[in-house]
Amino acid sequence: MATQLPPGIELEKVDDRIMTLNVGPQHPGSGHMRLIIKVDGDYIVSCDPDPGYVHRGEEKMAEYRNYIQNIPHLERPVIHDSCNILYPYCLAVEDLLGIEVPERAKYIRVIGSELNRCTYILYWLAIYGIFLGHSTMFMWPVGDRELFIDLLEAMSGARVTHAYFVPGGVRNDLPANFEERCLRQVDYFEKRLKEYEDIFYQNPVLKQRTEGTGILSRMDAIRLGTTGSVLRASGVDFDVRKKEPYDVYDNLDFETQVLREGDSYARSRVPYLEMFESCRIIKDALKKMPKSGSVRTKLKPNPKGGNDEVYRRVESGRGSLGYHIISNNRPEPYRVKISVGSFRNLICIPYLLKGEKLGNMPAVYWSLNYWPVEADR
Amino acid sequence: MSTAGGIIRALNSGVKHLAVKRFTLRYPEQKLKFVGDGFQFDPQTGVGIAGLKGRHILFHDKCTGCQLCSVACEGIAEAIGMVKVKETWKHNKKAIMPQIDYGKCVFCGLCVDACPFYALYMTNDYELSSFTKSALIYTPSQLAVKPNISQDVEIKIGKRGATHG
Repeated sequence: MATQLPPGIELEKVDDRIMTLNVGPQHPGSGHMRLIIKVDGDYIVSCDPDPGYVHRGEEKMAEYRNYIQNIPHLERPVIHDSCNILYPYCLAVEDLLGIEVPERAKYIRVIGSELNRCTYILYWLAIYGIFLGHSTMFMWPVGDRELFIDLLEAMSGARVTHAYFVPGGVRNDLPANFEERCLRQVDYFEKRLKEYEDIFYQNPVLKQRTEGTGILSRMDAIRLGTTGSVLRASGVDFDVRKKEPYDVYDNLDFETQVLREGDSYARSRVPYLEMFESCRIIKDALKKMPKSGSVRTKLKPNPKGGNDEVYRRVESGRGSLGYHIISNNRPEPYRVKISVGSFRNLICIPYLLKGEKLGNMPAVYWSLNYWPVEADR
Repeated sequence: MSTAGGIIRALNSGVKHLAVKRFTLRYPEQKLKFVGDGFQFDPQTGVGIAGLKGRHILFHDKCTGCQLCSVACEGIAEAIGMVKVKETWKHNKKAIMPQIDYGKCVFCGLCVDACPFYALYMTNDYELSSFTKSALIYTPSQLAVKPNISQDVEIKIGKRGATHG
């Protein structure tokens, strides 16, 4: 065998003790990303997340389409949270173009966004359940998610990728009898949600696997710039809906759910508690919503933004989600920058997994509420 | 709570579900009921009418061949192309009408928002699968057909849980 290597090429030195494992991108437990994990026996020495496998250039694509044509492709990164990913875009474009939104449309947007948040959290909870080996927790949330998908379908006409929010309001009014249907299904869902407590959250098997693993302290959570449920599970009371209320969130009655432990259990429990708050918001919004009125401000065809830039953010299912749009007197935006919660939470993976057992990797990784497609944009 | 007690409570909560009705929709036999006749749009008020965004329906007596639906689709899916039709209409001098490729369409419904003549709506028909790619391209005459569909099941909530009828 020839041992002489061409000049400039070196072989990687393999350690006897440390082994490198690639989890993903084809591994079912990682999503569309790769975790390069170095293990010493059963313990993780270091972990290097490697995102970017589903980068689609949404930001560049947005520069070639006008403000309305951007709607369908901007919701593709998170198709089952599509109302929330379009929400800040609509708020930002409304600021750019100087459009007033009718009062009823604001309430409808809040309802749509909260329904969609529940859909997202249930989907995530199902994945979290199945990766911890709890297959009942896969079946139940996926089944109950149908209640919300049904409501969103009646509202917007599509099960996922609703393309429902537009700059200036929403695309169509609520169908007849929507209020009763929504109240009935949300009431039933709250009853169902309480059953999750016994089978999943108070289950000793789950508690033993998640309590005390992947602890993120309060100071670390702030220092690393995490957001959403990860931040709130570490004891920081921050929710964009409370701190910078948009649309009608300041009139509505809800609380921020904060836990102090900062471990995987707390991170998985915060979104669960938030679903109760979402149901509360939906019921409150249905009560306070004006019963009739316009839902959409008519736009000029091909509206132009001035020489201006604007940044708006909302609280999505995965944390704060912001859009920075720069326009230069043309029908297309000059630059669109999307700041997503998933990508901001990605940075804690090396800190959380160091020193953990390899078997705890899915429990810690999925508790971050991470969505690879959104992070890559 | 002790570990054994917790496991028994978890099991008990699962066992209770033996008495709960089946939630699954038995799809080919049952079909979900939707609100309205599909997504429609009123260009005068600028607001749509709620409904499912399914296959389109084209009204030949209203379409003027203005190409606005095709222009709207240009930056989205590029599914709509304008083709010549053999019919002669007074309001459609060029005799062109949209042809939609459902292999590309994303069902966002922005073409319906773009139509100023009430000529293009969407319907409740969502079963569009075919064996060839070319069969997914719907010509203006295929789009004019009103779909014949029966959809009757909706979510019912009773004492023994939610079910699909």
